[in-house]
Amino acid sequence: MNKRNMTLGIAVSFSVLMAGCASTPQDNAKVDEARAAYDEIKNDPDVVRSGDRQLSDAREELTRAENLLDEGAEIVRIEHAAYLANRHAQIAGEQGKHAELQQQIDSAEERRKELELQMRANEAQQARREAKELRLQMEAMQAEQTDRGMVLTLGDVLFDLNRAELKSSGESTVRRLAEFMNEYENRRVRVEGYTDSTGEASYNQGLSERRAQTVRDTLVDMGISRSRVETKGFGEQFPVASNDSSGGRQQNRRVEIVISDEEGNIETREN
Amino acid sequence: MNKHTSMLGAAGVISIAVLAGGCASSVERPDGKLQSAESAVEKAVSSGAREFEPVLLNEAQNRIADARELIEQEQYLEARRQLEKASVDAQLAGARADTAKAKQAVEEINNSIESLRQQVDQRQ
Repeated sequence: MNKRNMTLGIAVSFSVLMAGCASTPQDNAKVDEARAAYDEIKNDPDVVRSGDRQLSDAREELTRAENLLDEGAEIVRIEHAAYLANRHAQIAGEQGKHAELQQQIDSAEERRKELELQMRANEAQQARREAKELRLQMEAMQAEQTDRGMVLTLGDVLFDLNRAELKSSGESTVRRLAEFMNEYENRRVRVEGYTDSTGEASYNQGLSERRAQTVRDTLVDMGISRSRVETKGFGEQFPVASNDSSGGRQQNRRVEIVISDEEGNIETREN
Repeated sequence: MNKHTSMLGAAGVISIAVLAGGCASSVERPDGKLQSAESAVEKAVSSGAREFEPVLLNEAQNRIADARELIEQEQYLEARRQLEKASVDAQLAGARADTAKAKQAVEEINNSIESLRQQVDQRQ
């Protein structure tokens, strides 16, 4: 009798306690959500590779939530485990995404390096091509080896009669010279102006000086350091042909570009 | 007879105690959880969560503040839950910030590749 009562008492206290712990729905939205979050990423290779730890935490919490649900545990406990499961799954998903992005970064980095190499190769190739072209141009411009060094004679193509402003065709000639100087950075030049003997000698002297300075200013505008360009006006001096004929005078109206040696030295011409 | 009954009674008391313990597990002060939640927040901040995931980061910080109050009131179980949530909130905020930064990096490098390619094309 006594014993029976005791047993009953135990059974009652059992069920009361169970009821106290649980208010039991069989389904729980939070657990479903967590399961969905876990299922979504559990087979993602990026996640498996790099979010492994979080993935197993998610699995563990999800299992706990499901067990608690089956046991009819307190809803706050179930949902707490579901919350943690859901978050772990989300974190694992982010780590997977991050790993995938990191891979993109790595391969892009490689592509960028290749491109940079290719560009440098292209630049070198282009520089060689340009250097060759410039040498050909120098030859085409008929730079001559003289006792003053390499001398480039620019006929009266640079300027109009009695003017000191470059013609546009003259400008492109000077541009070629600037390119040459960019290519050969140790070289300096002296720009020498010459005229024919028509008109006042002093006027011709001034004109030849202004023209030489115009060529220098144009070179400087094209990025050549001023210190690499000397100017000199020789006026009517040093004719290369007779001033008696128009053909001879045309030859005498000229600008000569004297190119320095590799140390930047230029032979001076005494007047 | 009497002895037997009292043993059964003792068994009943024990099972009550066990079940009660199962229901309200860990009434210990969750100091360790507090520490790991705080370090998770620090880590998230250093990942740039303040910039990329301010809402979630803030949530984690609020949970820690709540947990501190709960600890004051000796409501350790609820404090512990808040701290566990705070930890995973902060970790997620940090992970999202990392992803966002990686996305930006991908964009930047792709842009630089694009401009390099244009330069290469121009020169050829």
